Amino acid sequence: MRQRTQTAYAFLTPYLLIFLAFWIWPIINSFWLSFLNTRSANWTFNPRMTWGRLLVDPAFANALQNTLVILVIQVPIMIALATVLATLLNSPALKVRGLFRFAFFAPVVVGEVAYAAMFRLLFNEFGIINKMLAGIGLTTIPWLSDPNAAMAVIIIALTWRWAGYNAIIILAGLQSIPEDVYEAATLDGVSKVRQFFFMTLPLLKPVILLCVVLSVIGTMQLFSEPFLITNRGGPGQATETLGLFLYRQGFNAFNFGYASAVAYTIAALAIAISLLNLWLGRERE
Amino acid sequence: MRIKLACAALVLFSGPAFAQSGEITAWSWNIAASSLKATVAGFNKQFPDIKVTVEDLGNQQTFDKMLAGCAAGGVGLPDIISVENHESEIFWSQFPDCFVDLKTLGYTDEIAAKFPDFKRTELEVEGKAYAMPWDSGPVAMFFRRDFYEKAGIDPASIKTWDDFIAAGKKIQEANPGVSMTQADINGDTEFFRMISNEQGCGYFASDGQSITVNQPACVAALEVVKKLKDNGLLIAGTWDEKIQANTGGKVATQMYGGWYEGTIRSTSPDLAGKWGVYMMPGVTADGPRAANLGGSSLAISASSKNKEAAWAYVNYTLGTNEGQVTMLKEFGLVPSLLGALDDDYVKAEQPFWNGQKVWVDILSTLPKIKPSRGTPFFQDANAIMVATQLKYLNGEYPDAKAALDDVANQVAGATGLPVAE
Repeated sequence: MRQRTQTAYAFLTPYLLIFLAFWIWPIINSFWLSFLNTRSANWTFNPRMTWGRLLVDPAFANALQNTLVILVIQVPIMIALATVLATLLNSPALKVRGLFRFAFFAPVVVGEVAYAAMFRLLFNEFGIINKMLAGIGLTTIPWLSDPNAAMAVIIIALTWRWAGYNAIIILAGLQSIPEDVYEAATLDGVSKVRQFFFMTLPLLKPVILLCVVLSVIGTMQLFSEPFLITNRGGPGQATETLGLFLYRQGFNAFNFGYASAVAYTIAALAIAISLLNLWLGRERE
Repeated sequence: MRIKLACAALVLFSGPAFAQSGEITAWSWNIAASSLKATVAGFNKQFPDIKVTVEDLGNQQTFDKMLAGCAAGGVGLPDIISVENHESEIFWSQFPDCFVDLKTLGYTDEIAAKFPDFKRTELEVEGKAYAMPWDSGPVAMFFRRDFYEKAGIDPASIKTWDDFIAAGKKIQEANPGVSMTQADINGDTEFFRMISNEQGCGYFASDGQSITVNQPACVAALEVVKKLKDNGLLIAGTWDEKIQANTGGKVATQMYGGWYEGTIRSTSPDLAGKWGVYMMPGVTADGPRAANLGGSSLAISASSKNKEAAWAYVNYTLGTNEGQVTMLKEFGLVPSLLGALDDDYVKAEQPFWNGQKVWVDILSTLPKIKPSRGTPFFQDANAIMVATQLKYLNGEYPDAKAALDDVANQVAGATGLPVAE
């Protein structure tokens, strides 16, 4: 038995070494870094320049606010949309189901850069969206140079990309609900709408909760969309997210100490919000 | 054995003469990249066996990839890297080992003396020369002659920013759909930096040891930007959007460094004869009217496998009149090499500019330019200024002084430097 354990660990060693070198060590090291003043070649202990700055830095507050705005607006819209989509995709009346499922899942397969470039073109001042708005007699919107409009573009893009992905997860949850529950309800004369709200949704709760937690973590780390679509969180810093702010501190200003403190804050916030979700969605006895 | 050693020594000591072959790569952006490409032909007449490849990455990408490459110990860096002077100090302060001391390759004090001091201060640290000066950016007003004429404005009469505003109102009235000028207020601070440099002020003191952005001269500069905006004379535009506005005839004036001459000439060839140049206005009638924006240098990476070949190219392109004047002619890059300013081309009438001797006009301000220190913290300070300027222009501060006090405090928090009294 001992022999077998040793063999198992011997096989695991290469992975464990990599895990130690590229995961555990950076996590510990960046915690130490987060207390250092890294503004010049000689790094000195000075948490006032990192953790102290976090408390008073308006740019950090702005990035946090932008991230929370996306979280509060985009995640609920997307999950609701995904649930509706999943229900429709699960409907027995739907023909060529496989094609539809693939079509809604496809945006995730598209490369980030390609899809960002497409959204930039669509929402460009002379893009097709503004052409359509003008076509139906509405005023055009400077999508990428107005702070609120730019935020809307980010939210639309994120929803387009991830709603189908979440719908497929929720669909799997739907298919695990036994048919006879619905049969019994139908026999009892419960309407389809009431079935959805009082049976499907409660039974789906664990799956929806999973989607919410995954989306929260994804939003906390959001980087590619504001980097590529709104050109590094523009206009100004109107769509700068925590992920972008972290990148800017780490790789533009080369302030590793502050960037580490920001990274730890993002991780802590993601954990806190996810725990809150789980607590709100817990099974009440 | 001894003969072999002697041969090896011979090869070593006469290195440059024998190492004039191979391939080198350079990173740059926009017309700067184009002008590097333009000097390759002349360079290859002297060094036919060196193949030069210039990659146009865009300005911010060049900076980002360079930092990442240096942080990774030089992995993936090209042989030659372009760096803007005001952004350059972060490299020498964080990664002094990422670049070759050009003095070891033949950048003698005699060659260095051919460049103005204000270009060299940021590049030479503790006896080492990390980069060779390339171009500078004496600020000029590039204007549409036809739009000004239609409103009856003589650009020579614009001496102060108040004159500029009065003229702008008339020009916009006479030319519907045309905006007086354009600035990247959503993503940059170039107007503020040009006008504050004109007034002798900048983010940091010239020794780089304190923050000066809330000094009265900078306050005056920011007030000018606000006045332009409040009078409806300034529309927002990125680099690309400015070019679109130029070609589409939507803007009457662009204020930029002298290198913008090449951008207008190469992107609006159809508008030949319609553009002109005049001096930037001052805050007061008899105040200073000269400033610098941008201007770059070339460095050689320590990880380059062909440093001698890279140096040969850098020295030809930046250190000879032929190289520098080629870039001036083709793309309007203003030579830092003082000798190149005596070239006949500089004194010539320029057909694109309706026969105006634009280089005489632009370069006449060169001696009056005050140095402006970038420091390793330029990116921090500028990002804070972008956000605060936007808020100030939207009326979220009572006045320019309050906005710049806030900038100064934020920069102090970001850099650890004190705010100057």
